[in-house]
Parts: sequence; structure tokens; C-alpha cells
Amino acid sequence: MLIKVCSASNSGLETIGIDVEVNVANRGLPAFEIVGLPSKAVDESRERVKTAIINSNIPFPAKRIIVNLAPADVPKEGSFCDLPIAVGILAATMDCELPKRSLFFGELSLDGTLRHTRGALLLSLFAKEKGIKNIFVPKASANEAAVIKGVNVYPIESLSQLLRYLLTQAPLEPAKYREVKNNQTVVQAEFDMAEILGQEQAKRAMEISAAGGHNFFMVGSPGSGKTMLARALPGILPTLTERESLEVTKIYSASGRIPPDGSVIKIRPFRTPHHTTSQVGLIGGGSRPQPGEVSLAHRGVLFLDEFNEFPRGVLETLRQPMEDGYLTISRSKERVRYPSQFILVASANPCPCGYLYHPKKPCLCTQREIEKYKKRISGPLLDRIDLQIELPVVDVKELSEDERLGSTSTSSAEIRARIVRARQVQKNRFKENGIYTNAEMRNVHIKKYCCLSKEVKQLLLQAAMAFQVSARSYFKMIKVAQTIADLEGSKNISVSHMAEALQYRPKIQVREI
Amino acid sequence: MKNIIKIDDVRYPKLLKKINSPPEKLYYKGNWDASIFEHCLAVVGSRRMSTYGKLITNKLVSGIARAGISIISGFMFGIDATAHKAALEAGGRTIAVMPCGIDIIHPQYQETLYKQILESKGLIVSELESSFPPALWTYPRRNRIVAGLSQATMVVEAGSKSGSLITAGFARKYKRRLFAVPGPLTSVLSNGTIQLIKEGAEIVTSTEDVLAVYGFDVGAGLVPARRNGRPQGSPLQKLSKLEQSIVRKLQEEPMEIDALTRSVRTSASEIGTALSLMQLKGIVFEERGKYYIKAG
Repeated sequence: MLIKVCSASNSGLETIGIDVEVNVANRGLPAFEIVGLPSKAVDESRERVKTAIINSNIPFPAKRIIVNLAPADVPKEGSFCDLPIAVGILAATMDCELPKRSLFFGELSLDGTLRHTRGALLLSLFAKEKGIKNIFVPKASANEAAVIKGVNVYPIESLSQLLRYLLTQAPLEPAKYREVKNNQTVVQAEFDMAEILGQEQAKRAMEISAAGGHNFFMVGSPGSGKTMLARALPGILPTLTERESLEVTKIYSASGRIPPDGSVIKIRPFRTPHHTTSQVGLIGGGSRPQPGEVSLAHRGVLFLDEFNEFPRGVLETLRQPMEDGYLTISRSKERVRYPSQFILVASANPCPCGYLYHPKKPCLCTQREIEKYKKRISGPLLDRIDLQIELPVVDVKELSEDERLGSTSTSSAEIRARIVRARQVQKNRFKENGIYTNAEMRNVHIKKYCCLSKEVKQLLLQAAMAFQVSARSYFKMIKVAQTIADLEGSKNISVSHMAEALQYRPKIQVREI
Repeated sequence: MKNIIKIDDVRYPKLLKKINSPPEKLYYKGNWDASIFEHCLAVVGSRRMSTYGKLITNKLVSGIARAGISIISGFMFGIDATAHKAALEAGGRTIAVMPCGIDIIHPQYQETLYKQILESKGLIVSELESSFPPALWTYPRRNRIVAGLSQATMVVEAGSKSGSLITAGFARKYKRRLFAVPGPLTSVLSNGTIQLIKEGAEIVTSTEDVLAVYGFDVGAGLVPARRNGRPQGSPLQKLSKLEQSIVRKLQEEPMEIDALTRSVRTSASEIGTALSLMQLKGIVFEERGKYYIKAG
């Protein structure tokens, strides 16, 4: 008897439908074979399915069972095939009807229960796209799948539970639809912005960075507060919108990073890879391409501490994802495209010993060492960073004095409110363009949306000449000025917006020593 | 063409001949014109100069060079290179005494400066032959030539073990005038100069202090200092209130944006905006994160 069970396989962020054909033949020697380019994990399904069925106290047929995964020429990856294969065998031997327009997906445990399986959200999206109404997934993955409207997600605990349903057709309760809209999750960062003494300019730059999605590079001596600033950043990031949330969750779902019973990701990713991270670790790869840190930081922040300590080759690979907002990883077997629209926040010391220009401690580096250290970051890479600032050394004593005199620091919550407003302005502006932030603007968008008055243009040209900025930096300054205008709620870029934007122009590596 | 001047040559600088162990021959590049040795001032200082050192070197040297005094230094980065550059910018002549053979440009990345010196009737001089590499011992030897060629030596910034102190020592030994530019007592780069002052070096506070030594009539015949195209009169009046208070703060001492934000008591965003505009107007300039008032 031939049974066809529908399932789907994920490759990167793409999903293709798989027909699991199970034939239980009465003739021939008893056997259990899987054909159709199964990977190692899929091939091992045989033993899991067999044992799980036996351990669920369901008789396993001593017949010739052939399983074909169609289309046969597409490689299949993962353990999701366990459930459809088991369902096929049960349907064939128990002679029960399978629900129509349904997908089965999940990994079996040897005791017959179902385990959390990666990629459930992708399956759900695929079902929605193809108009498939029901999907049967492990209970632990149901929360993740149940965020798509119009798809009934049936959480399955064990094979015996499923068999009872198949035999009796007793109604099964679908998982509750979890709405992603109106995400109000507020992140409590390690530090509040108000706790950080001094560094007024850096805080302002961070606000602009978070508001407009601009990349941000800070250079300063040890103890100037670089890491502290970065750690305070999650507290001022706006919450993910529904679309952003799904984009991020897709990546995490595909790479199996959603925990059991977990649902969509509601807070912006904040990734902090160490400087020994390999190229593949940073941008992704492998024979079955996995997303790297740049993709895991999609719609969030990629914080690279000790920027100059990263191997130059590794850093250079950042250029394309930073420019395009996605990257394509091509391997002999697969070609996968992962989005990578992140805010790069980098921090570095001014020299290897860290005390160049320090007012109190002497710098112990030679001229050569400093040159070498600076050269690790290439001009083109630096050119892609919109906001660059140098952090002065903080004199804690002097600052606490000022603090006592009543200098008011703005709290993260206040800053965040401004940022949320600015993001809303941007969202409305780019409604038809498929982008979310000013930093993502291409030159066409700049021409369309950023109208510069005569005075602003003149100021920009004058600055471009005086500070010798590249053509790319020229446009970056317009983008930053636009964000400053958005933060202020101003419609047009004024002279003062542009003048402030000039403060953050690239100048760090340009300096002579 | 062999660019060598031997010690018995009439063109050999007379001052240099007077020192204890004058170099037997001088290799040189450029156009040897005896007039360049007539009035010479050695300007030396730390490689690791501070912004203050850079500013004050520029200010002093440009005035001195403009008056027609040749600036002699050692072509090293830091104060040396700044002195050469300031002299060139002021349209003066300058001599670089190399710690290596004259065909080697050391440090290599100052090649542009090397060429500029030659283009503006300056000289590259060394007692070492063409491609002799620089070594630890060649620097102090070179310093005796720097001091020996000059009527006076001016030390701008020097740490307590600086090579500039060796040059100063030679100057004293050869009975030449020795000037030291005072720096802030808080800086390690002042240790050497303060030491020199304590030992009797003359304090320089203005171009005139140096020019007087060379018998120049101060104030007459000098080309007036170039103005930076800034409106004359009382510029403070034309500035906005915020700009005025920024100027007043910066006149006391150079500051970073953050420090200004705290002392003027406004947001970093407003200060940043004002400073950008003031920078473009040529009122202030920025060095290593600090803002300075541009000297008018």
C-alpha cells in the first residue's frame, strides 16, 4: 500500500515541499529502506522511526517498506523526516485516513515522543504561501510556528497521541495563534545611559546610530568607557516591528537557535563575537551554509570590541554585507542568501598599548607599531562607518564633581522614546521602498527624500573640501543629517543638522601622528 | 656630479669648522649656497610631540624663518618635521641633517617633505655616505652637526632622556646660544626643557626673543604675518551667544566636546553643531579630539 505524506525541507531560508512516499509491500523480504538523496541524519531516521513505533506499543510491520523522498534529486537535511515517515508507515498498516492539505514535520525520540525541530517557522511560512491549512509539528516547536495567521498548527506530543487522532478523528486543539504585533518588550540593558559619566558626545552619537541604523566606531584609551557604552546600547534600541521580528526569527529558526517552546524573537539581537572569530563564524558558511554573526545580528547590533585585533581578512569580508544588507554564501552543493542588515558598533584602542595621547600615561608604542595597528582597518571598511568618534579619557573625580553640581544625564528610557519617534518617521518615509532606516538609503533614495536647501548644500560642499571627504562619506553625512533631523522631528535638513553630522565624519585614521 | 664639500673647501660652513670634531666631508643634496649658513637656528624636540608642541613650533618657526633665518633640524618625525614644514610654509629655507646617508629617506614616509625641502632651496646634509643606514650611534653624531651649524639651538619639547638634550649639550659645549620653550609642568614632554631652563637656558616666549639674538631689527622690515582670512576688528561681537562662550572657554584652555558640554552646560549636539560651523568659519580648529582657538 502506498501512502503519500507531505512535508518540507529547509535550505538556508528557503523551503521546498517534499513528498514522503511510503510503500509497505506484502511481498518480498522484510526491509526498511529510504531513497531520494537522504543525508546522514535522514538515513538514520530508519532506526529512530522503527524504535519509536515499537516503543509506543504499536506493532511494526514485518514487511518490505520503501520510503522515497521526492523530488529525489534534492538533497535533504535534518531530522524533520522522522514524523512523516512514521505517519506514512502507521497510515499504511493501520489503514487510517490522513488529513488533507497538511504538512508533517518533526524529529522522533526513541520513546515515541517528538522533539523540538529546527525550522518550524519556515515551515509555517511555507504552508501559508502554498495555501496549506494544517501543519503537524512537535509540541516544543508549536509556539514558534503558531505566529502565522491562517495556518493551523497542531502540536504533537507523541506518536501514540497522533495515532489516536488519526484513528478516531477526534478534534485536535490547534496551538494558540500568537500575535507579533504591538511588541512592547523593553530590554533592561546592563547599564542605563544615565549611569555613564561624561562621554556626552559618544552618547549622542549612539542615539543617532540607534535611531538611523548607522554604523558606529569609537576609539579611546582603556577605561574611557567604550564597552560600557556598547553594553548600554540594547536599552535604547527600539523594539522589533512585526516584519522585522519575523525576519530575525527566520534566521534563528533555520539555524536551530530557537529554544524548545520558544516563539518569535522580540528583542533586537545584540551579538558580540570575540576577535578570534573566524571568517566563516563571522559571515557564515560551511558545506551546508549556516548563518554567521552578521546574519544573526540582522536588524540588531553587531558589536566588535577590539576592532583592530580582528584579522584583516576577516574584517574585509564585512564590506559586502554592510553595503548590501544581505550576503550570498555559495558552496558546491548549495547557494544560500542570508539577510545581514545590522548596525556595526566597533570599538578600538588608539594604539597597541592603548595610551596614545593619554594625558597621564605615556604611550609605549613605536611609530611603526602604531602605523601597523591602524593599517589593520582598511580605508574602504572605515568609509562604510557613518559615525566615528574619539572618546576622551574620563576623569572620574572631576566628573563626579560635575555630577554633584547637577549636570543632568538623560536616561535610556527618554532617549529610547526619541529614537522610537525617529524610527516611526523613517518607517512612514520608506513605506514603498522596502527599507526601514536612513542608513539603508541608496543614492536614489537620498535624491528623492533628502532635500537639501541651498545653504545646507553650500555648507556640505565647503566641509567636503575642507575635510577632504570621499564621495561615499559625502552621502553618509547626508544620511546622518537626515537622522538628526528626524530625531528633532524636523521635516527638512537644516544647517545645524548638517553641522552636527559633520562632527561624526571619518577622521580617526586620517590623522597624522 | 659629486656633491661633497671637504673640510678644506672655502665653502665649508665656518661655524661648523669651529667645533671639536668637525666632519671631514659633508655630503649634500640641493643647491649649495653659502648664504644659507649665514643665520642658522637649530630647532629640535621630541618625536612624540604634543599638540601644544606642534602649535608653538609652528608659531615660532614660521616667524623666525620668515625673517630669513635658516631652520636646521634632524628630519625626524615630531618636532623636527614640524619645524621643517613650518619653515617651508613660511617661505623660508631649511636644512635637514640626516642620521644616515643622504640617499636614504629616513623615515621613509616623509618623502614628500624631503622633496619639498630640496624644491625650496633647502639642503639635505650628512657626513655619512650615500646609502649608509641609520644606526643608534649615528643620531648623537648627527646632533653635533645640527648644533655646530647653528648660532643658536632652540629646544621645544623634550622628555627627560630625549636626544634633543644631547643636541642642547653640544650647543652649550660649542658656546652657542641655547633656547628652551617652556611647556606645561604637567607634561612629561616638559621635563627636559624645564631641566634646561633650570640649568640656564634662555626662555623663549616669542619670535622676537630669538630674532634679537641674530641682531634683526624687530618689527621693521618683517613681512606682516599672514592672516587667516578672518574678519578683522572685534570678531567676538559677530558670534552667537553660544559661540562667544565657547570662544571664551577655549581661550582659557583647549577642550574636548564633552568637557565643553559640561562647562557651557548645554547638549553635546548643540556644542557639536556650533563647533562644526566655527571650524568651517576658521575660528577654531581641532587636534586629537581637542578644540583650539585659531590664532588670528
